[in-house]
Amino acid sequence: MTSIAIPRPAYAERPRVLDWLMTVDHKKLGILYLYTTLFFFAVGGILALLVRAQLAVADNTFVNNDAYNQIFTMHASAMLFLFIIPVWAGFGNYIVPLQIGAADMAFPRINALSFWLIPPAGLLMFSGFLFGGAADVGWTAYSPLARSSGVGLDLWIISVIILGVSSTIGAANFMVTMFRMRAPGMTMFRMPIFCWTMLVTAVLQLLATPVLASALAMLYIDRNFGGSFFDPNGGGNAILWQNIFWFYSHPAVYIMILPGMGIISEVLPVFARKPLFGYKAFVFATMGIGGLGFSVWAHHMFTTGAVLKPWFGFMTFMIGVPTGVKMFNWLGTLWRGSITFEAPMLFALGFLSMFLIGGINGTFSAAVPVDFAIHDTYFVVAHIHYVLFGGAVFAVFAGLYYWFPKIWGRRLDERLARIHFALQFIGFNLAFFPMHLLGLDGMPRRIATYSESSGWETLNLISTIGAFLIGVAMIPFIINVVMAFLRPKDQPNDPWEANTLEWWTTSPPPVHNFDSLPEVHSERPLWDLRHGKAAH
Amino acid sequence: MPSTGKVRVIRRVHLLISAALLALASISPAFAGWGMPEPITDQAKRIQDLWVFTLIIALAVFFAVEGALVYAIIRYRKRGDGLPKQTHGSTALEVVWTAIPVLIVITLFSYSFIVLRDVEKEAPADALSIEVNGFQFSWEFTYDLARLGRGEAPAKDGTFSIIGTAAQEPTFVIPVGEPVEFRLKSNDVIHSFYVPNFHYKLDVVPGRDNRFVITANQTGEFTGQCAELCGINHALMRFHLRVVERAEFDRWVAEQVASKATVRQP
Repeated sequence: MTSIAIPRPAYAERPRVLDWLMTVDHKKLGILYLYTTLFFFAVGGILALLVRAQLAVADNTFVNNDAYNQIFTMHASAMLFLFIIPVWAGFGNYIVPLQIGAADMAFPRINALSFWLIPPAGLLMFSGFLFGGAADVGWTAYSPLARSSGVGLDLWIISVIILGVSSTIGAANFMVTMFRMRAPGMTMFRMPIFCWTMLVTAVLQLLATPVLASALAMLYIDRNFGGSFFDPNGGGNAILWQNIFWFYSHPAVYIMILPGMGIISEVLPVFARKPLFGYKAFVFATMGIGGLGFSVWAHHMFTTGAVLKPWFGFMTFMIGVPTGVKMFNWLGTLWRGSITFEAPMLFALGFLSMFLIGGINGTFSAAVPVDFAIHDTYFVVAHIHYVLFGGAVFAVFAGLYYWFPKIWGRRLDERLARIHFALQFIGFNLAFFPMHLLGLDGMPRRIATYSESSGWETLNLISTIGAFLIGVAMIPFIINVVMAFLRPKDQPNDPWEANTLEWWTTSPPPVHNFDSLPEVHSERPLWDLRHGKAAH
Repeated sequence: MPSTGKVRVIRRVHLLISAALLALASISPAFAGWGMPEPITDQAKRIQDLWVFTLIIALAVFFAVEGALVYAIIRYRKRGDGLPKQTHGSTALEVVWTAIPVLIVITLFSYSFIVLRDVEKEAPADALSIEVNGFQFSWEFTYDLARLGRGEAPAKDGTFSIIGTAAQEPTFVIPVGEPVEFRLKSNDVIHSFYVPNFHYKLDVVPGRDNRFVITANQTGEFTGQCAELCGINHALMRFHLRVVERAEFDRWVAEQVASKATVRQP
């Protein structure tokens, strides 16, 4: 075995709190990202439970219509802008430099700035509750409705712009890091799949996020300085907002799911003891999704009557193809493997089985006439949650259970993890499957209440029970983490017998990450070391 | 003895399957439209056919892939310390499982394109035409006496309107068996005109002339509501629709004309 020595820089000692506040270490920033985003996941989750409590029974008055609009708007905003998008930046921050054998990100101080923009932006967004009401027009903020909403929406606009700056400069940082700082021998096509998905995500963020910022700036001008970009009475166009907004927000769906696919593609090979089936096909499928992602935005707008329906319908169907390729590659990875079911694998398999539904039920919206029926109903709410909860959230937990021993050097309990998984899996399906039927039966999304004569009460009650079961599922997870922190840091470098470079160094890694690096001959350098190139 | 055990297992499986079928049969009325409410227009029927076709393909894909996943989880769980064969991929397989989804989506696209063209036909000149005005937070349905469709033309000219409030949900009436055009108007924010039994909705956009045509194929009372978030009382923007025979529709129009102060004489 040969290895390459790495020069070790000197670091000054600082008091602990100050050290966390001033750190430019990608690992500490990664941990700060994870803590912050999981906090907003909890906040968004509590808001979701308020939504479900209100909809549990017909004609409910648990919260009033005004509060309801704020609650569901802030639920989506917290989950999308403050949890899912930045949580990948958290995983990426910690894992990408380690996986490519680098000592840090390319621009450590810009990295710190990317993170430190998030907590104030989150506080700003939620401060609306103190100033007469938070944003209440949905996370989509359609104009002209958004022109007349209260000051909470101004705070929301500024907050989302700040978050956009964070993810834009973060994206540039990730791209440079991966292009310039890979270990000797690690060609682009030997880069771990998680890095590839982070790279494509970064490209999408760099191209799409500034477009959202422009739309938000126009909306701010419309609201505060007498502009009329989106006001037909002033010569503007109400549909223009939707075009610009979705030009960002559809690629954003892939920003929210691609890194999750990357995590799954790390976990499956490790616990099936086989390489990812069709590595290159997977990379090209990821690029394909990224590229096609920019040509489907108007499938959110078929019922406006103002878009070229056959084109966007066709492209939306087409984006199912690379997604299908990925699904088959994951199955091919499991096929004839030697599968064990540790916690990360449970959540990865949960992802496969649920994201499959989220992929399939999305194609209905590509059949434009069917979309006329299901658009803006609970069918779409079911779809997005099968993608973003069944997909992204299951992947977040797969990643947390997988990298927990590396990041914190401690062991999580497998039995508690299994209880967590079982409760979350059942709760998730109870909460979101009935929404398909509600939507088909005509229940529109974003309604604060429904009448008893609608016949929607039973399914809504089941959904609410499921949502609270998801809440209960978090209890064993929290207990597990707390108990882990009471245990000693005893984890070996590579507790899972994994494949990639982050498992080469200690758990947790030293400040400079690596004392040495192995030679990289494939996308599985540690596998090669364990089994020799002959077994490759 | 092993054969008895096998028989017992088979019996249990049979019992399970018949129980599942029974459960399915008991809730089957709810699934008569494969989850969709009853289609009450010719256009809705076309959309429902497309839905069922798409759903069957979707279910086939779902069961095939989910089945393969469950099979792999059970069949290929670890059974020893031997390393599995390290297969890195197969170009032939990649081509096949790219081509199959492409064929499926081209089929689905072609069918949905045909249905789209048919349900978006323009209204014939003699169609009943109703102006639907969405506002925060109810609806106004305006009938033009000169465009009442295929009945006897009333003696008068002008218009009459049905106006609702969030507390007083409006009911409007259309005749069965003939084309009815809806012209959608809004002066405040975007609403969406949605009748679940039409399997159709169209946004009511300020500054935009959106219209669509349906031909109702059965009589009855149905409900609809706004499907685009439009403010605080969005959930209360409901309305009702009565589909009646032509003669009854003509009588209803006569009553409206007689009782409404809003009918403007030319």
